Amino acid sequence: MAEELIDHTIEGTSQHAQQAPEVLNEHRAWAIGIAGWLVPGLGHALQRMWGRAGVVFLAVGLLVITGARMRGNVFTSKGNDAFDTLGYVADLGTGSFYLAARALEVNGADVSHAGGDYGTRFLATAGVLNLLAALHAFEAARGRKA
Amino acid sequence: MTGSLTLTHIQAFLFFAAVISVAFGYLGRRQPKDRLKYILWSFFLFLVVGIGIGWAMYPFSR
Repeated sequence: MAEELIDHTIEGTSQHAQQAPEVLNEHRAWAIGIAGWLVPGLGHALQRMWGRAGVVFLAVGLLVITGARMRGNVFTSKGNDAFDTLGYVADLGTGSFYLAARALEVNGADVSHAGGDYGTRFLATAGVLNLLAALHAFEAARGRKA
Repeated sequence: MTGSLTLTHIQAFLFFAAVISVAFGYLGRRQPKDRLKYILWSFFLFLVVGIGIGWAMYPFSR
């Protein structure tokens, strides 16, 4: 009886020892994914993927700066319809760069001409691209081929 | 950075295609040669599809 109990305890401890690194790895992957969302490219930089980190940072940054300077619409949480909400979700995808876009666009949006409309698309694309990159960093941290 | 930026349609189109192609190339491929091929192919497809859709819409623009 005592031997069975000891065996069971050892087996349980061994399983815990195997599971612990997996759980830790999963937590690390989530942290990397969230870091990649908050600061474009950080998720890859934390995994020493310097080329990808630099390109994601520059691509998202360029799209946000160009979009804001073209006076695209930076959506807020106070949207009037579902499209505004979708735009807000897409813009939030840029993480901290969303605040930069708000700060850059001091004169407000002007979508009465094509440039402003293109700017709106650039900002939304920057957000979606950053979400894609954060997901890529998350998957790479989980050990998937990336 | 208060002045607004004005790009023509084709400039905005080329800028968008170039930035997204480079990002896709780096995220999608590992080797430099594969990345370059992917970037060029993606950029080419952006141009073909964009200009193709532009021409397809042309009859409805007037």
